[in-house]
Amino acid sequence: MIYLDNAATTSPDEEALARATQFYCESYFNPSASYGGGFAVHTALEEARKKILSTLADPSKFELIFTSSGTEADNHAIFSGARRGNAVTTAGEHAAVERSFNELKARGVEPRYAPLHKDGSVNIEKLLSLVDEKTALVSAVHVSNETGAVNDIFTIAREVKRKNPRTLFHADGVQAFGKLQVKLAPEIDLYSVSAHKIGGIKGVGALFKRKSIALSPLIHGGGQESALRSGTENVLGILDFAYAAERRFAVLKENGARVAALKAQFCKNLNENFTILSPENGSPYVLTLSVEGARGEVLQRMLWDMGVCVGTGSACSSKNRHSRVLKACGYGEKVLDGVLRVSFSPESTMEECVKAAQIMNTVAGKFLHLTN
Amino acid sequence: MEKVVIIRYAEIHLKGKNRGYFEHVFSINLEKSLKGIRHELHRLSGRWLVANFEEELAEEIAERISRVFGVQSYSIGFQVGSSMDEIFAAVKCVAPASGTFKVVTHRGYKKYPLTSMEVSAAIGGRLLSENPALKVDVHEPEHTVYVDIRENDTALVFGSYEPGVGGMPVGTGGKGLLMISGGIDSPVAGYMMAKRGLTVELLHFHSYPYTNEGAKEKVVTLAKILSQYSLVVKLTTVSVTHIQEEIHAKCAAELNVTLLRRFMFRIAERFAKREGMQCLITGESLGQVASQTIEGMTSSNAVVTLPVLRPLVGFDKDEIIERAKKIGTFETSIMPFEDCCTVFLPEHPATRPKLSFIEGEEGKLEVEALVEEALKTAEKIFF
Repeated sequence: MIYLDNAATTSPDEEALARATQFYCESYFNPSASYGGGFAVHTALEEARKKILSTLADPSKFELIFTSSGTEADNHAIFSGARRGNAVTTAGEHAAVERSFNELKARGVEPRYAPLHKDGSVNIEKLLSLVDEKTALVSAVHVSNETGAVNDIFTIAREVKRKNPRTLFHADGVQAFGKLQVKLAPEIDLYSVSAHKIGGIKGVGALFKRKSIALSPLIHGGGQESALRSGTENVLGILDFAYAAERRFAVLKENGARVAALKAQFCKNLNENFTILSPENGSPYVLTLSVEGARGEVLQRMLWDMGVCVGTGSACSSKNRHSRVLKACGYGEKVLDGVLRVSFSPESTMEECVKAAQIMNTVAGKFLHLTN
Repeated sequence: MEKVVIIRYAEIHLKGKNRGYFEHVFSINLEKSLKGIRHELHRLSGRWLVANFEEELAEEIAERISRVFGVQSYSIGFQVGSSMDEIFAAVKCVAPASGTFKVVTHRGYKKYPLTSMEVSAAIGGRLLSENPALKVDVHEPEHTVYVDIRENDTALVFGSYEPGVGGMPVGTGGKGLLMISGGIDSPVAGYMMAKRGLTVELLHFHSYPYTNEGAKEKVVTLAKILSQYSLVVKLTTVSVTHIQEEIHAKCAAELNVTLLRRFMFRIAERFAKREGMQCLITGESLGQVASQTIEGMTSSNAVVTLPVLRPLVGFDKDEIIERAKKIGTFETSIMPFEDCCTVFLPEHPATRPKLSFIEGEEGKLEVEALVEEALKTAEKIFF
C-alpha cells in the first residue's frame, strides 16, 4: 500500500519504538516512586522532556507539559489562557481549537474568529483588528492540517503583543512540529505538538509553555507535570516521542527538501482533473486537491481499493459534508465535494508518489466518466 | 423453595390439530433464547416453566424470554411444595411491604383439601396478621399475589404477570427474505413478520465505494438486534454498484431509483428462491418517499413472482419510529452512515412512472447479466 495520509497519522518509527519498549519493559516502575527504580524512570522522563523541549525552545525560557494528545494540549492552552474578556482565533483551526473556542462562549469568554485568505492562511490584518484591551488569548494554527498553509505566527504574536502585551499567544503546532525549522520566539507563550504525526505512537502530546506565564491544570490529581497535568505519565509513549523527535529533527532540513521534491513531482504527474488548493509556499508535507464534480470520500475508497491511502476533506452525505476550513477559504460546493488531501512523510519515495499520482488520475477519470 | 420463570403462550392454543407442532417450535425457540444459561425447561399444561438455574440469573432469563415471539406473559416466581406453610413462605417473598393487596388462587389440583377461596382467605389472613402495613382490597388492589396449586404436590407463587411480545413462534410461518437498508423502516418490517412466525433472513444491498463500510457495519448491528427476537439471523450483502453505474450511464435520470429497485427485487427473488424462501419483505410505506408510490410498488412487483410483504405499508413515519424505539433498532438506524450515496440520486425522481417507459429504459441494459453479476458479489454473514 502507498500510504499518503501522513497528516492524519504516521507509521511508527520502529527503531524509536523498540528503544522505548525495551526501556519500558525493563523499567516499568512508577516515575513518582521514591525507590531506585522509580527514580530511574523519572530520570529517563526528564531526559525525554529536555530532548523534546530543546528541539524548538530555549530550555531556560520554556518548559514542556506532557499531555495525552495535541487536542488536550490545545484545550489546556485555551481554557487555561482565556478566562475572561475575549479570545481570538482563525477560521482555519483544527477542531481541537475550533470546538474549544465554541465552548468558551458558555464560559463567559467571547470567541472571535478571523477570516482566511483563499490560500488558507489567516488574514493577519483582520485578526489584529479583533484584538483589543480585553483580549485574553490569541490562538492561530501554525500549519493548517487542511491546506498546508503556513501562518506567520511570529509576526502575528509580535503584533498581538504590541496591541496588548497582556494577551497570551498560543499556536497549534501539530502539523509543523518536526517538519518546519523554527525556534519559539519569546512572543509565543504556548505551542501544542503531537507525537503520532512524526512517527511516535498515538496517545502522547505536549504543550510548550513559556516559563514566565502561569497556567492552571485541566486535570487534577497526583501533581505530576508540575501539578499542571496529573496522572501517571505515559512513559512508553513519551520516551518513544523523544526518540522519534530526535531522529526526525536530526534530518529535518534534508527531509523538508526531499518532501518538497516529492510534492512537486507528484503535482506534475497529476492530470487536468485535479485542482491544487494548497498554497505554493505552504508546508511541503500537505497537498490538498479537488476533483470538481467528484466526491472525495468515494475517490478515497476507490483509491484504497487500488492500494493508495489518502485523506479527504469531505464526507459523502453526512450533514457537515464539507470541510469547514476550505469553505472559509471561499471555495464553492463543487470544489468542496471533490476534496482529497495527500500528505507525505520522509519515508515516502519518488516511485510511490509517481505511481500514486497515476492511480489518482485513473480513479478520478473513472469516477467522472461513470457519474457525469 | 425454588425460583422459577413461568411462561404462558399466546395464540398457539388456537391451532387445533397443529398445536403440537406449534408448541414444539415454541419450545425450541425458548431453548435457543436461553442458550448459555444452565436451566431446565418444563412443559406444564398451558405453560412452560424455567427451573434449576442460578437465582441471580432470573432477571436475565425473564429479559430473554420477554423477546421470544409466542410468549403472551411471564412471571418470576417460586415453585414450592403444596402445604400451606410452604406456600405462605413463598408468598412472603413476593408480597408487597405495604399498600393494598389481594390473593388469587388457582387450583389445578382439584382434590386439594381447601378450595381456591379458602386458600386465598387463609394466606391473606396470615399476611395481614404478620404485616399491619398491608390492607386487603379485592376490587382494586395495588398488588396481587398469585397462588397456583398443581397436581404434583407443588404450587407456583408469583407477584405479577409481565406482558410478553405475543405473536407466533418464529419458524411456524415459513421463511422470508427481508431487504434491509440500514434505515428505520426495514428492521421494523422484519420484526413484524418474524412476530407472525416467519423465519426472516436478511439481504442488504450496498454500492461500495459510493457507500462506505460504516453503512454495512450498521446493518450488521441491526441484524444482531433483530436476532434477539428472531433467534437466528442470516445476513447476506450484495453489491449493486455496477448496476447503478449502468443505469446512470444509459437510462433516463428520473428512473434511477425505480430501475434500481426493480433490480433489487429481481436479485432478492432469485436469492430467496435459491435459499428456499417463500416471500420478500420490505419496509416500504405508501407515499413515504418518491419510490414508495403505488406505481413504484407496482413496477417492482412486476419483476417478481414471490409475494412481497410490506407490513408497514399503512403506517405513518411516527408509528414506525415508535416501534423501532420499542424494538431497540432506532438508535442504530439513525446513526449517520447513509445507506445510499447521493451521487446517483436524480434531482427529480419519477413518482408515477409508466410501466411502458420503465421497460423501454430497462431495455437498454443487460438485465440478466447484471443480476447474475450482482449475485456473484453475495457475501454471507451468519449469526
